[in-house]
Amino acid sequence: MPKVSAERSVVYLGLFSTLTFVVGLIFVGIAPSLDHNFSYQTTTDQDHFHKPYSDLELRGRLVYEREGCMYCHSQQLRPLVSEMERYGVGTSPAVPSDEREYVYDEPHFLGTKRNGPDLSRVGGKYSDDWQYSHLFNPAQMTPGSIMPAFTWLFTVANPADPSSPPVPKQDAVALVAYLQSEGRDRMVFDPTLDNGNGAWRPWLKPADAVISQEQSQAAVVRSTRPVQVTGGEKAKGST
Amino acid sequence: MAVQQIMQMQPASETYKIEHSDEAAKWFVGVALGFLCLFGIFGLTTAIKFVFPGLFNGVNFLEWARIRPAHVNGVIFGWIVCIDMAMFTYFVPRLTGTKLYSENIGKFCAVLWICGVIIGTLGLLNPTDSLNLWWMTKGKEMEDYNPISNLFLAVAWLTNCYNLFRTFANRRYRQMYVALWYTMGTCLWTAFAYIIGNWPAQAMDAQFGWHIAFRGVNDANMNWFYGHSIVGLVATPGALGIAYYFLPKSSNVPLYSHKLSIIGFWALGAIYIWNGAHHMIYGPIPYWLQTVATIFSFLLFIPVGAFLTNFFGTIHGEWSQLRFNVPLKFLVGGAVMYLIACLQGPMEALRPVSAIVHFTDFTIGHAHIALFGFVTLISYGGLTYATPRMWKRPLYSESIAEWSFWLSFLGITIYGIAMSISGIVQGEMWQNPHIPFIETVRVLTPFWHARAGGGALMVAGMFLIAYNTYKTATVKYVEPDTASDDAALAQSSTGLKA
Repeated sequence: MPKVSAERSVVYLGLFSTLTFVVGLIFVGIAPSLDHNFSYQTTTDQDHFHKPYSDLELRGRLVYEREGCMYCHSQQLRPLVSEMERYGVGTSPAVPSDEREYVYDEPHFLGTKRNGPDLSRVGGKYSDDWQYSHLFNPAQMTPGSIMPAFTWLFTVANPADPSSPPVPKQDAVALVAYLQSEGRDRMVFDPTLDNGNGAWRPWLKPADAVISQEQSQAAVVRSTRPVQVTGGEKAKGST
Repeated sequence: MAVQQIMQMQPASETYKIEHSDEAAKWFVGVALGFLCLFGIFGLTTAIKFVFPGLFNGVNFLEWARIRPAHVNGVIFGWIVCIDMAMFTYFVPRLTGTKLYSENIGKFCAVLWICGVIIGTLGLLNPTDSLNLWWMTKGKEMEDYNPISNLFLAVAWLTNCYNLFRTFANRRYRQMYVALWYTMGTCLWTAFAYIIGNWPAQAMDAQFGWHIAFRGVNDANMNWFYGHSIVGLVATPGALGIAYYFLPKSSNVPLYSHKLSIIGFWALGAIYIWNGAHHMIYGPIPYWLQTVATIFSFLLFIPVGAFLTNFFGTIHGEWSQLRFNVPLKFLVGGAVMYLIACLQGPMEALRPVSAIVHFTDFTIGHAHIALFGFVTLISYGGLTYATPRMWKRPLYSESIAEWSFWLSFLGITIYGIAMSISGIVQGEMWQNPHIPFIETVRVLTPFWHARAGGGALMVAGMFLIAYNTYKTATVKYVEPDTASDDAALAQSSTGLKA
């Protein structure tokens, strides 16, 4: 009776192959999820990182997913000085991503490729008008942009006249609401506030946000074909 | 001579002469080649859209980010996994000395496979702009296909595994050659990874309110656990199995070392699974997990080294065969690309390197060197060798196969070089936050032209392989009845040998 070795037994081979997979799954798939506040809300700090999405923002997430935005735009800032400066605004450097920012994300949009810039801190940087104009025709807002023009998210103000200003559909309204929520809830602990006791404040200082939005709004005015955002379907979708 | 050595080394046991009908394998080959050409075109379109962003402007289902996942999932499931099934159903019966358990089950799988890939692709292209979670993309890389498509593909894969395992059970040779191990590993690991990775969490949450999956960063971790398994535990062992079978077959040289192949197999199974987190170096995942992924990325040198030593040890002294042996040419080209991909991969997992090249084209180049340069070229080699034997007639044209090799090899070389340089250029420019983002995009235009050119060569190679296989299968072939015909046939390396 020859010794039964793994290389002669289908059963042994199958069992050992399964074993290698299961060991890997436990250590790098399951174990990290038991790490501190890795998946679900487990700390009282949660509100300083992310709050639950509104219904409109959740719909915006679905549109984001359908249009495949995450294939070109990551949603994670690495703790590198160059990234904190690049994605910061004025005197507010962007803070690196934290696991608690993602607990409401299903699915995740972390992304692996930046054909366009990171979006995790985009909320509040641009005005709504800028976002609509950019979605309708990215190249008119950023010359040289290779982003697709999402014209099917818009309709025209006057159906009889195709050259009338485009009006965002419900999908575009939801998408922009979601874009404006990205990074909005992220707070940083500023030790200089509250007479030196320290306090939480938004990572993007309100003054910086105002300047940034005014600049982006000016670009919309300069562009050749602004998107009409007053009236239309926007009023229906506002929260 | 090597052939005499093999004859002496053959075991004393009886060898079985069986007529293999290969019906299932033929069906899989047809499906795989059809999807290869289709999704190759998709990939070329995404590459051209980088150069002409206005191409198909305003057509929602031809938007870049809808074609891209269709290309990625299409070539992985429509081509790579399907050609794995084709080659497995071809060589498993030959290595086990028995007939395939059921040709009809194999054909049934091929039909299910077509349905699954088509449904998934339509869901990704989504011409109706649907927001139905059972129909639209799942939104995570390499698991984008919708749950309906996942069901088709999972059932097809499990049925095919059943078919192969029943064939294993009927085997007449007790000793299992290493290609069979890789087959079994691929069968099991694909099944596990596919079901875990494609769990329809979002749809079930929205439809029934069932929260039975991870969210947020955990979801990302499982996504890349799955994603790296698709590369490392599906595509790689499948291609290694094909290489281990067809290398000795096509070159008529015995394998260099059996022991080395054992080491390689178990190292691959034990190490690849730990690598997923290296896709998120410096990301919001725990630091220890990133470090583990980096360490295991370097441990990959063990299975890679074992395979490559075995491969080049086997053809050592037989390099002259490359002058006329087309299948061997494909296999060697694939092995060289495997070496390059596996030198790049662990380097990218290092934190300082990842800080530069992560999120850039470098990753895209690496993925194509691995999945096209390595897996696809190896599969071409297996296909070129197996096609004449499946249809029991000589290859339609060796020069077409030769052209296909050089176009593919040149194409992936141009692609790989262009993308690697492009990635480093953009990554270095990102280090200076005062350079506007759009400037780091504009500077890449020449590399994107080169990429589209290389991609066009690769697609041309795909169509030549498909055309050659089609002609081999359909051209009317007259059985040679004279000894002189047999002699002429025997000189052709890809023709049938007695």
